[in-house]
Amino acid sequence: MAFCKSTSRTWNQFFFTGFSGESLGLLRMYIGIGLLLFHTYQFATVLTLNPMGAMYYFIEPIWYFKLLGIQYHVPALSFVMYAILMGATITMILGKNTRTSIVVIILCIFYLKGVRDSFSGDVHHRYIIPMQILFLFVLSKCGQVHSRDARQRRNPGGVQEWEASWPIKTMQLYVALFYFWSVIAKVRVSGWVWFAGEGRIQEVLIHRSVRGGFNDKGEILTNWLGFELAQHPELIHLFGILVLAFELGFPLLLFIKSVKLRLAFILGVTTFHIATFVLMHVNFILIPFVYLIFFDLVSIHAWLKARAHQILGRRPAPEG
Amino acid sequence: MKRRTVNIILVLYLIVVWAAVIFRIDRFPITWVPMYSVYKPSETISTSVRDKAALRKGLRVTHRDGSISYVSYKDLNIPKPNFRRLYGSRIFGHDPPKHKQGNTALGSVNRWVRGLDDNERNFSVDWEWRMFWTLNKTLQFEPADPKFIIRMESANQKRVYRKADLLKGDTSKVEIQTNQAVIDWQDQWIKRWKHGFL
Repeated sequence: MAFCKSTSRTWNQFFFTGFSGESLGLLRMYIGIGLLLFHTYQFATVLTLNPMGAMYYFIEPIWYFKLLGIQYHVPALSFVMYAILMGATITMILGKNTRTSIVVIILCIFYLKGVRDSFSGDVHHRYIIPMQILFLFVLSKCGQVHSRDARQRRNPGGVQEWEASWPIKTMQLYVALFYFWSVIAKVRVSGWVWFAGEGRIQEVLIHRSVRGGFNDKGEILTNWLGFELAQHPELIHLFGILVLAFELGFPLLLFIKSVKLRLAFILGVTTFHIATFVLMHVNFILIPFVYLIFFDLVSIHAWLKARAHQILGRRPAPEG
Repeated sequence: MKRRTVNIILVLYLIVVWAAVIFRIDRFPITWVPMYSVYKPSETISTSVRDKAALRKGLRVTHRDGSISYVSYKDLNIPKPNFRRLYGSRIFGHDPPKHKQGNTALGSVNRWVRGLDDNERNFSVDWEWRMFWTLNKTLQFEPADPKFIIRMESANQKRVYRKADLLKGDTSKVEIQTNQAVIDWQDQWIKRWKHGFL
């Protein structure tokens, strides 16, 4: 009985406290801004195609294309879907028909990602975290604060703390688990040797630096830094341990109250993603925009607003 | 939404995301995060060398009427990186990483859940048939057409290095392998033609 009560208290404390309606509304806006860039980067290759060109029959349709019987690509449709996606992301930022906008974004991502990943059967995982965030936004009251919807429909009660907190805390939990699960996957599939100095990291470093070829003198043409690093297994082993520590330890971030410590951790993770992009061409470079979920954006937004007014030479409007 | 409903949603959500991890389900938008997880220690590392001119030219194909032509990424209207994978991997029967991750060290519980025998693969694709279906369908050739593609050819160069040499910064010791893929249409596939692979 005592255990149940304690579990219930911890559950409620974790999921239902910590954020205001304003935080949730601002998170929707800033994640939306990040998504504008993210969508374009992710679907850029699809946008290089000829909209009136051949309709390609997929070699390995993604699972939901198989389920729906979608066998080929209609190039012009991808351009239309991209335009709708960007439009819906803007309306999500503005908070206009917020829930509908987010549902439209989700559908467009499903379609465009399905197309991109069905061309040759290479399924990418870069949209998994943004998709979880969007799903939780749909279920939340994120459209009731800092939005056009809120101006039109007056909600005297506002958004309560528990209503604002659970979607954000669930997003945080998912992201933390995502990194934690990646350790489980590595150990399950390859064992601890994955983290060794002469393990997977070294292999990817060599592979990605050698594939660009060599000049007449036998020097690496691209990514010489990765190749240099690959020759130091003891250093790679250290990086391997760091990767292990930060991925296993990511859930601890959920319990760090200090904003400075959180920021330090997030900067570390961001550096990791930049380093893997530069050295190994692992394309998670833009994913750090989702780490906004680990911060209460109210004070950051107020600071940015004050700076913007300062730059534009205007005084901020009084609160209320 | 009431708090009780939210609690139910949270419990269901956590069950689904954890089930994906336990049962190794990697179907967007759920995953067990298997990216870059596969590693098999080996003495050598082999890397394909990109031949940009050959890639631009495309796959060499033979039509039913005996004529020969090339099919490029522009003809198929797909992005270059995807064409590179058709040209350098699928035609050689190489699986995408997702399949390798799904096939490696599956474990007895996950084999049992999927009804797989000991040596049965989780992902198994007949890439040769798919290459013919994809190219012919995209170019609108039916099996009876004189222009129907009955043979595809691709070549790639691989450089095989010993890791020990690379670690000494010695890139001079390299074994260059030229691999060629030649795949032929099989008439038994006509039965599948109408349905594709859905």
